Amino acid sequence: MKCPTCGDPMIVVEHESIELDYCTNCAGVWFDEGELELLLEGMDLDRSMLSLDRILTSPEARTREKKRHCPICNRFMKKATVGHDPEVLIDACDRGDGLWFDGGQVGQVIQQLNRIDVRSEDSQDRLITFLGDVFQIKE
Amino acid sequence: MFEQIRSNQFRSIVLVTAMAAVLLALGYVIGIFFFDSAIAGLIIALIFWFIMSLVAYFQGDSILLSVAGARKISKEDHPRLFNIVEEMKIASGLPRMPDVYIIDDAALNAFATGRNPDKAAVAITSGLLQKLNRDELQGVIAHEIAHVKNRDVMLMTMAGILLGSIVILAWYASRMLFFSAMMGGSRRGGGGGGGGGAQIIVLIIGIILMILAPIMAQLIYFALSRRREYLADASAALYTRYPEGLASALEKLAASTNEVKSANQATAPMYIINPFRKRGKPAADLTSTHPSIQERVRILRSMGGGASMADYETAYSSVKGKGIVPKSALAGATPGAVPLRETGPSTEAVEAEPGQVQRTREVSNLMWRKQNYKTIECDCGDRLKVPPDFKRPQIKCPHCGRIHKV
Amino acid sequence: MIAVYIIVPLLVLLLIMFVMTYNSLVRRRNQMQNAWAQIDVQLKRRHDLIPNLVETAKGYMKHERETLEAVTNARNQAQKAVGTGVGAQSAAEGELSGALSRLLAVVENYPDLKANQNFLALQEELTSTENRIAFSRQYYNDSVLQYNNKTQMFPSNIIASMTGFKRGEFFEVQVAAEREAPRVSFS
Repeated sequence: MKCPTCGDPMIVVEHESIELDYCTNCAGVWFDEGELELLLEGMDLDRSMLSLDRILTSPEARTREKKRHCPICNRFMKKATVGHDPEVLIDACDRGDGLWFDGGQVGQVIQQLNRIDVRSEDSQDRLITFLGDVFQIKE
Repeated sequence: MFEQIRSNQFRSIVLVTAMAAVLLALGYVIGIFFFDSAIAGLIIALIFWFIMSLVAYFQGDSILLSVAGARKISKEDHPRLFNIVEEMKIASGLPRMPDVYIIDDAALNAFATGRNPDKAAVAITSGLLQKLNRDELQGVIAHEIAHVKNRDVMLMTMAGILLGSIVILAWYASRMLFFSAMMGGSRRGGGGGGGGGAQIIVLIIGIILMILAPIMAQLIYFALSRRREYLADASAALYTRYPEGLASALEKLAASTNEVKSANQATAPMYIINPFRKRGKPAADLTSTHPSIQERVRILRSMGGGASMADYETAYSSVKGKGIVPKSALAGATPGAVPLRETGPSTEAVEAEPGQVQRTREVSNLMWRKQNYKTIECDCGDRLKVPPDFKRPQIKCPHCGRIHKV
Repeated sequence: MIAVYIIVPLLVLLLIMFVMTYNSLVRRRNQMQNAWAQIDVQLKRRHDLIPNLVETAKGYMKHERETLEAVTNARNQAQKAVGTGVGAQSAAEGELSGALSRLLAVVENYPDLKANQNFLALQEELTSTENRIAFSRQYYNDSVLQYNNKTQMFPSNIIASMTGFKRGEFFEVQVAAEREAPRVSFS
């Protein structure tokens, strides 16, 4: 798979049986829908509360950041936000193929780690915790 | 009981004959319009159909598989899938082990191909292989093998060719008609001169036929396709003696809304469920290649008494109010005569199987291998899978920072 | 003369019918015999698998020598019983199924064994083998039913009795242990 930001071939990182696509050039991360589902499997959540669904149904975030193509379906992805204080701007495939984090955004997301309860049942928190776990830049 | 369902394809043959009649009628009209000779039109239609049929007969399966982007796998690639295909080969009495293919697609679907039982192949998307447990996978494979065994692949290919010929001929004919009308269109009327009123009526009938022929052919084709789906479900229940496996697989398929990327209208009936379903669209109507999944599940779940064709017939009529299985397939079969598999041990087997996460990794690792990815095991426990076109000499593990040579 | 014109075509027609019916009887009998041979193929697969299974299990199961030996013995008995007739063979296979169930029941107590990759692969092979045996028996019985219908239904029954087609024998599960569907899950 090609990196949506810089076009380099991405490698696959398998951590605790979950796979992420990772760009060694720009440190961007693609989180595939199927893998996201695996990560959230077993969580006692209402389906509608799944983070991907919430991100998808939220209105397009206003930004001048460049639009990117989904690496799976090649359509434009929409800008969405995860986490809070501050919200981190990411790209989400409209068809639900997955989520894209630019290199810097992974770092921003992970900065919220120490505010999150590890046992949190919120799916966005779980996502952030997992990313933090893979890219161990803990403070 | 397997044999009869194959030989009794009376209604299917009637439907295919009807499609052939539509094709010939179209050829007739084209002949009258453009060549002043009905025979010439009929011959064009027949030659067109014949060539397409030849290609489909000899190359159809390989074309279908390559269009779908299917990769052939061997037993080492996925032992469980291979075992299940072989189990169903035995249960159905297929003379030769079908080839097994995987389509790298997150959508959930499967199809069978091959013009006869000696030369068959089953293909399954990687998404489906990840989602289904052993019993469910067995049900899906049984359904696909039933298509081969019931000669549906052959039937639907031939019907599809008829449909394709009709659509293409009608399309060109209507364009040509429009074009010649624009240019004054005097060529045809040049010789006769008289009887203008009758000619206008023929013209109108011709135009109507050109518009209706593809629609009619499509509706017939869809009716045929839906019918063969039900019969393949019935055979699958008979082979596995466990309708619940297929029912539960169909439920999982229904829950997913991914379209199969590589499918198109012509290949749609080959799949186990309609590959073009959209969110919120009712799954079955006259213009659908597949019956509604909910209905298929309900019928399979109503098979309380046994796994025979007679039991499926009973369940079908309790849901739909009429029968589906041909009379001769029911000869000598009494409801309940073929007992269902006991569910006790098999539910335990389900628990012993690899879970969803493990199944996903099994399949994705298989796909990486097929695409020549190189796997690096990092000491921190993470695995790095590197594509063949990766140029850098070394990789830093993003988890622990160790440097690996590629 | 007219009689000849009627009788000769009639005789030819009868002959054709006879040949066709006879051939279809032969075809079904062959199908039935092939189905039976298929069961033996699958039973052999089971016999070949068991030494591997016992070998892998041995390393982990220090205290189950008797159970393992029982499986090996039952397997050898079953192998000897191949070709001795439906009754004796299915009894021996039933014994083997029983011994296997007992082995698989105690696997529960050995989590290391259950996590062994080799053992997991064998577990899948064993599950599949048990299924294959069940499905080949199922297909054999379906074939017998077809063949028997043909030998009993008019008019093929006349030709069948004339040319000595005997009824096919259904495969029936004869041992109680066998009836309780072999437990191949290691859960």
